[in-house]
Amino acid sequence: MISRFLQWTVLALTIGFLIGPFFIIVAAGLSAGESLAFPPQGLSLRWVIKVFQIDSFRDSFLLSMGLAIFGTLAALILGVPIAYALARYKLPFGETLRTIVSAPIIVPGIIVGLALLRYLVVPLNVEVVAALFAAHTALILPYAVRVVSASLSNLRSDIEEAAVLLGASRLGAFFRVVLPNIKSGILAAFILGFVTSFNQVPVSLFLSGPGVRTLPIDMISYLETTYDPSVAALSALLAFLSIAIVFVAERFLGFSRYV
Amino acid sequence: MFENKFVGMALVLPGVLFAALVFLLPVGYLLAEGFQSADGWSFSPYIEFFSSERNRTVFLRTLKLGAMVTVVSTIIGYAAAWSIVSLKPTSRGRLIGLVILPLMISPVARTYAWIVILGRTGIVNQALMTIGLSDEPIRFLFTETAVFIGLLQLFLPLMILSLSSAMENMPADAVAAARVLGANPLQVFWKVILPLTREGLVIGGTLVFTGSLTAFITPAILGGSKVLMLETLLYQRVTVANDIASASVIAMILIVMSFCANQLLKRVATARGAK
Repeated sequence: MISRFLQWTVLALTIGFLIGPFFIIVAAGLSAGESLAFPPQGLSLRWVIKVFQIDSFRDSFLLSMGLAIFGTLAALILGVPIAYALARYKLPFGETLRTIVSAPIIVPGIIVGLALLRYLVVPLNVEVVAALFAAHTALILPYAVRVVSASLSNLRSDIEEAAVLLGASRLGAFFRVVLPNIKSGILAAFILGFVTSFNQVPVSLFLSGPGVRTLPIDMISYLETTYDPSVAALSALLAFLSIAIVFVAERFLGFSRYV
Repeated sequence: MFENKFVGMALVLPGVLFAALVFLLPVGYLLAEGFQSADGWSFSPYIEFFSSERNRTVFLRTLKLGAMVTVVSTIIGYAAAWSIVSLKPTSRGRLIGLVILPLMISPVARTYAWIVILGRTGIVNQALMTIGLSDEPIRFLFTETAVFIGLLQLFLPLMILSLSSAMENMPADAVAAARVLGANPLQVFWKVILPLTREGLVIGGTLVFTGSLTAFITPAILGGSKVLMLETLLYQRVTVANDIASASVIAMILIVMSFCANQLLKRVATARGAK
């Protein structure tokens, strides 16, 4: 009895600590008052509406969406063949290759951003958007390889061999047998990559310029000058967006198996 | 059938070349700059970096906060994971969902919430003044405590998830058997639960420790320029002073520490496993 009580107390406190701040952000974003406060001074949607009227938020939202979608797609186009080759072929230096591809996970993003700025963007005069795109792709690549590898390891190679024996080409066997079977793994990798890219700050920090900013960076610089609840409202909107995406993914894919 | 190594290499090559070009080369160049001085190769940027007391303070603070967050999240993590695992499967799933939820929310939003909570007019200060524990607002923001709390909230889910999945894989009757044989709760923890969840602890610990060392947003927003950590110091050195040598040294420190944390924890795991 006592242990049961203790158990629920522990859980309530922990979950409260983890989720509580999120409710506070939502409440503060719905405040009618002029400045950031909790409890909110009356409820209204004025700050939610204001979020949609701030041009820079719209631009940076679109940039972040674009980076997250196309960066993740590029990472999958590079990553799926890697995961496949590592699973099916005995490659010379296989482990080294895996390490090279997954290294961006170990190296703090801010260092990647600074290094790219100094040795690629400035000397080669690369467009900021292109540099951001490359950086986000490199950041997501390890996740793509890992998640797709995990789902490939559940797939036996004999069904593929059977397809080849029955006359399919290797490429045909991949597209008609392997790909459909790892579809949910690929979708899980896409969602994980999307969320990682969309929420990520340090990689973009040095690469964002005055005109070209990702949304989180834009939010931080807005915070530096203004103390109104619009960032709270925006945070709440984004949070609901991510939760919706993850909920749908979990519902249809069993997403958490891959994370 | 899968003998053709050339096909395999051809599949791997584009991604590896991309990672090398966009990642390995630039980062390698940056690290190399830390070993340069006016007259060729040297350690002088390192000596200069560590001879500044301010830099040493930031370095030690980063280590200290990383260690504290790891230790506290381990303690809370065991309690929470144990409670979650002993639930019925359906409620277990829901609670895991609640633990994962904050991971999906932008770290900017999560950190920003603490400003509302810990600020001068935040809930904590309002509560303290209402009950009369304090006459004036206490400054929580821009203190190590605020950064600690922010980091803990950011990384605790990773620890809980690693520990609870390790506990789910524990042999079902191990704890009951130990109890029947007369072990007290502390003995059960040390002799049964800890060894059996070692791998989860190693994974969780590595994620939390390296995550805390390399966090940027949390110290930037909750610590400001008062409580610099290595990442915020790096950012400040580059943007304020264009001091690439310091940035390179910090980059090396962070990479080496992340790597060592990985290796050390791996070794602890195998050493205890061998016994």
